[in-house]
Amino acid sequence: MKTRTWIIILSSAVIVCAVLWMFILNSSSPSKIVGIYQDGSLVEKIDLNSVTDEREITLNGKFGKNIIFISHGHIEMKSAECPDKICVKHGALEIGGTPIVCLPNKVVIQFEETPYGADAKTGAAE
Amino acid sequence: MNFMRKFSILFMTVAVLFCSACDFDSKADSEFFAMDTIMSITAYGSNSQSAVSAAENEINRLDKLLSVQNENSEIFKLNRDKSINASADTVTLLKRAMNFYTLTDGAFDITTEPLTRAWGFYSGLEKRVPSQNEIDNALKTVGAEHINIDNKNITLDENTSLDLGGIAKGYASAKTAQIFKENGVSSALISLGGNVRVVGSKPDGSDWSVAITDPDDNSKQVGTLAVRDTAVVTSGSYQRYFEENGHIYHHIIDTETGYPAQSGLKSVTVVSEDDTLADALSTGLFVMGLEKSSKLYSKNSALFGAVFVTDKNEIYITDNLENRFSSQHKFEVIER
Ligand SMILES: [Zn+2]
Repeated sequence: MKTRTWIIILSSAVIVCAVLWMFILNSSSPSKIVGIYQDGSLVEKIDLNSVTDEREITLNGKFGKNIIFISHGHIEMKSAECPDKICVKHGALEIGGTPIVCLPNKVVIQFEETPYGADAKTGAAE
Repeated sequence: MNFMRKFSILFMTVAVLFCSACDFDSKADSEFFAMDTIMSITAYGSNSQSAVSAAENEINRLDKLLSVQNENSEIFKLNRDKSINASADTVTLLKRAMNFYTLTDGAFDITTEPLTRAWGFYSGLEKRVPSQNEIDNALKTVGAEHINIDNKNITLDENTSLDLGGIAKGYASAKTAQIFKENGVSSALISLGGNVRVVGSKPDGSDWSVAITDPDDNSKQVGTLAVRDTAVVTSGSYQRYFEENGHIYHHIIDTETGYPAQSGLKSVTVVSEDDTLADALSTGLFVMGLEKSSKLYSKNSALFGAVFVTDKNEIYITDNLENRFSSQHKFEVIER
């Protein structure tokens, strides 16, 4: 009885540690996980590497629609009804590059991790 | 009984492990739009959630106070009426701006609003090269001598208008860092439209790594700085510009000429514990160029450090950053 209890307790402790360890490892490994945000809140999180079929996401903002195009390893603002079109001219989201930003419609598309090996980058978002 | 004791010890050990892992991971972040750009704030530790909310409120409050475009802001009213009874924040910030004007020999100037407007660098305007006549007229209104601060009463000369775009984010970043300290947050990362500020060290105790954007390619970097408790602010001609008849015109206007500054630099990054100074000096040093900036540095090496990228893609760093800067490129060191 005593031994069995110990085995159960110890093995559950090992499992807890393993799960935590995997969680920590997983969260620090580089990935192609992209977050799409509108007005500061998350619309969708996508791992670009696991995308198989091309698709589009349409968002409605103050200045009309933003259409986001997604394919394997790739995301871009395909079209937008905002006045400046800076988000469309940005092109595809690149590793280490600046986020795709539509200031008028308050849309941001960015990598969830910073893949350029630094915690932050200066002068990028303007 | 013995079993119960051993069990409770083990249980507590596991619980402590769990909690330390939780605490390490306890993180609050917020991304929102203010001051015509994206604000991104991340704080770690037990009090991080309330600190982030407080910081977000403070930034939005300052935006409403200092915006050139918001019709209810003090700066908008000052530009319209040429006279206001200002709040403590506005007075403090204007006084600091005047000091930076003196420090940079006029290179950092908050009276550029009429020039920036003539060049169309405000949202809703068309970017264009103004006529020489327009530039000459705007130049008459430029300079800190057109601002008068008498306690809370601020007055401007006729036709003078202010734009705090070169300093407001720095002030907001200082306030945010202060809020974090007051809330006991010892690890945080703030980016106000590319103005970076780090609080303390990373949660694991190491330095924060801040990359400097390559002016020629946004996806690359000039190098990285290992820092803690400091602001890192970059001003570059690549950040906002337009092309006309094969010429590129950027948004950092030199108030000597009324034209975009041609000082031989592509970008300047300023590192300082004083966020407001870092913000103002990044613009000021860009306008001054490498040589004048180096002279300013030799007298003020305790105040700031800087990284310069020249038109020829040479990199210069001040000697107080030698142990902090790393790059795959070759770089020169400016001795104080
Ligand atoms: Zn857009």
